[in-house]
Amino acid sequence: MARSRVITHPLSRRQILKGGAALGLGSAAALGLRPSWANPWGQTNVYSKGVEDGPEVALAIRRESIPIAGQQARPISINGTSPGPMIRLKEGHDAVLRVTNLLDEPTSIHWHGLILPPGMDGVPGVSFPGIAPGETFTYRFPVRQNGTYWYHSHSGLQEQLGHAGPLIIDAAEREPFRYDREHVLLLTDWTFEEPTSVFRNLKTAEGYYNFQERTIADFFADVREKGVAATAEMRGMWAKMRMSSRDIADVTGSTYRYLLNGHSPEENWTALFKAGERVRLRVINGSAMSYFDVRIPGLKMTVVAADGQPVQPVPVDEFRIGVAETYDVLITPEDDSAYTLFAEAMDRSGYARATLAPREGMAAEIPERRQIADRGMEAMAAHGMEGMDHASMPGMDDAGMAGMDHSSMQGMDHSNMAGMDQADAQGMSAERGRMNANGMLAAGAAQPGSRYDQAGIGIDSGEHRMLVYRDLKAFTPWPDRREPERELELHLTGNMERYIWSFDDKKFSEVSGPLHFNKDERLRLILINDTMMEHPIHLHGMWMELENGQGELIPRKHTLNVKPGERVSALITADAEGSWAFHCHLLYHMDAGMFRVVKVS
Amino acid sequence: MRKTLLALALGLTTTAAFAAPGHGGSQPSVSDADIDRTIRFEAGDMWFDPEGIEVEPGETIRFEVINTGNIEHEFVIGDAQAQEVHREMMQAMSGSHGDAHAGHGGHDMAEGEHGGEMPAVTIAPGETADLVWTAPRNVGRLEYACNIPGHYESGMSGKIDFQG
Repeated sequence: MARSRVITHPLSRRQILKGGAALGLGSAAALGLRPSWANPWGQTNVYSKGVEDGPEVALAIRRESIPIAGQQARPISINGTSPGPMIRLKEGHDAVLRVTNLLDEPTSIHWHGLILPPGMDGVPGVSFPGIAPGETFTYRFPVRQNGTYWYHSHSGLQEQLGHAGPLIIDAAEREPFRYDREHVLLLTDWTFEEPTSVFRNLKTAEGYYNFQERTIADFFADVREKGVAATAEMRGMWAKMRMSSRDIADVTGSTYRYLLNGHSPEENWTALFKAGERVRLRVINGSAMSYFDVRIPGLKMTVVAADGQPVQPVPVDEFRIGVAETYDVLITPEDDSAYTLFAEAMDRSGYARATLAPREGMAAEIPERRQIADRGMEAMAAHGMEGMDHASMPGMDDAGMAGMDHSSMQGMDHSNMAGMDQADAQGMSAERGRMNANGMLAAGAAQPGSRYDQAGIGIDSGEHRMLVYRDLKAFTPWPDRREPERELELHLTGNMERYIWSFDDKKFSEVSGPLHFNKDERLRLILINDTMMEHPIHLHGMWMELENGQGELIPRKHTLNVKPGERVSALITADAEGSWAFHCHLLYHMDAGMFRVVKVS
Repeated sequence: MRKTLLALALGLTTTAAFAAPGHGGSQPSVSDADIDRTIRFEAGDMWFDPEGIEVEPGETIRFEVINTGNIEHEFVIGDAQAQEVHREMMQAMSGSHGDAHAGHGGHDMAEGEHGGEMPAVTIAPGETADLVWTAPRNVGRLEYACNIPGHYESGMSGKIDFQG
């Protein structure tokens, strides 16, 4: 299995033994011989960066030289690997995780998606002071959930240096699916630049990493299609927003190498199976800035969990995974042949790749990369606009309009972005029937302005089946069935040119205090994305029940993707007293100010 | 409520079925004497228990299927290929997105290949359904499955092996 650089580093004997077990197939072979449901969580512990089994785990954080994608690199390592080892805990146990900081700067580990006491959440300045150089911090918490999660540094930009790893919690009871074998797939984005220099580039030269800017050839193509006037207007509009319509991601494949379990596409990390086995893939997007579209040409995937929580199974051909999200999928390869696991960056600037095969040394064809999408077309799709008719556009309001910089939006009334207020108004009247006594929508209903039936930009939904948020449906209602008592609305805001990202136009450094949740209240959080980029919004300490229209069976998540111009809502039971981080999980957006503290009291 | 369904499968392509009318444990129109044995099945989220059975050709079996899960399941008998055809049909019926189970009523027979039909019963959560089935002769192996989109893929199937 895997060419694992594990053995090239000084490791304890124990770590080498564990690494060896992870690379072997012995336990997996035994599992195949008995009914798989007899051991529904039949773990194979296959993870190329080693495994640390709970409940007691010790982790040492270092900065060291480890080659990445065949080149010299200096990532942050955890127990000698980068990304770090898989931590495996059991539901019902008390976890004891000792983290020793061998860096020359403070560090931390946040256990992403875990419900735990506020002091154990690992956010410096919010949950604890952080871990000083040379110190060991001991995290202790009861493990009260199961599923696929991950962990990462919450200090500065350390996560970009590979300070992250998978966190798998085995279920105390039978899970709602069966499988013979499992593999953990951690997606990350690696840059050979220092993260601070990436951030400086973003601050000083917006579009620095966008080599997909429109060219003069595109201009003439547009003119042929739409005529000179419309093209010029469209260009003017994007210029006024300080954006290129091809800004799908702000850090791209021009600096990133996309990695799967720490390996570049050329290294071709291989996950093994035997033909006919049902294989569970635990897919984690642990990247700093990159969304991925994941598919396995030739295989159907059945999505069975989202953010660690079981969902009613959804057969799909492909799914988009936002930064910090996790999805569990089942596959059953019937043929004794190799399949490519293809994770294409959303902006199409690169991909991560692995191979699923019955033996080492096999490879399948790598699919052709798709064309880069255009934000301009997406903005129009978002508002139900088909044609390019720019004749009459009554009543522009800036409600749905992507306000990268509101001050520069005059002149938009002749653009192609019209009629959005009308579309919203129609949505409102349709929704009115489902209001509760407080004049709020009934719990579980989708907000007008949500696009849960769309996967997002760059997906041609015609050809194959793509997972959408609307598909996610729990098996049973979550424990708190109360209607929301209160709505809290937050706008996701930003200014691309100055690389400022914020909530309600206020950077974290500008806000006077935390967002307040009343202890035990049932709250509806409404997120309105006024920007032209996706934002994966993460709440610590409490679940967000995504109101995707599935009524009592809405799914719960720790990270919600909010598409450009979209309005998304979630129900929250504010049962976790204390202070919690709430932020965009795009690392540089968080660092630029898209971060708040939530105080529950 | 108990839903009773009789299906006498004389072969894969010649199948007769009678849905017993009414509710409340109305007795099948085939007398108990015709039934060689009863197999109790549990349909959970997402599994069947038992996971596989052995039958004798020509034997008549009453399946009592209890849905102990949280969502609707079905119990369909047929060969692997016919099951797959049925599954694709149900996936297509569910549309590209949204409610995966729309349009799939409580059918009693599922379309199989070659225009044949497979004995099938749909069971709501907490309910029990009966299916009486006569094992065909000259068949190597069959499957029972739940073909609601995603359920088979999650593990809701089992093998029917023929003795002798």
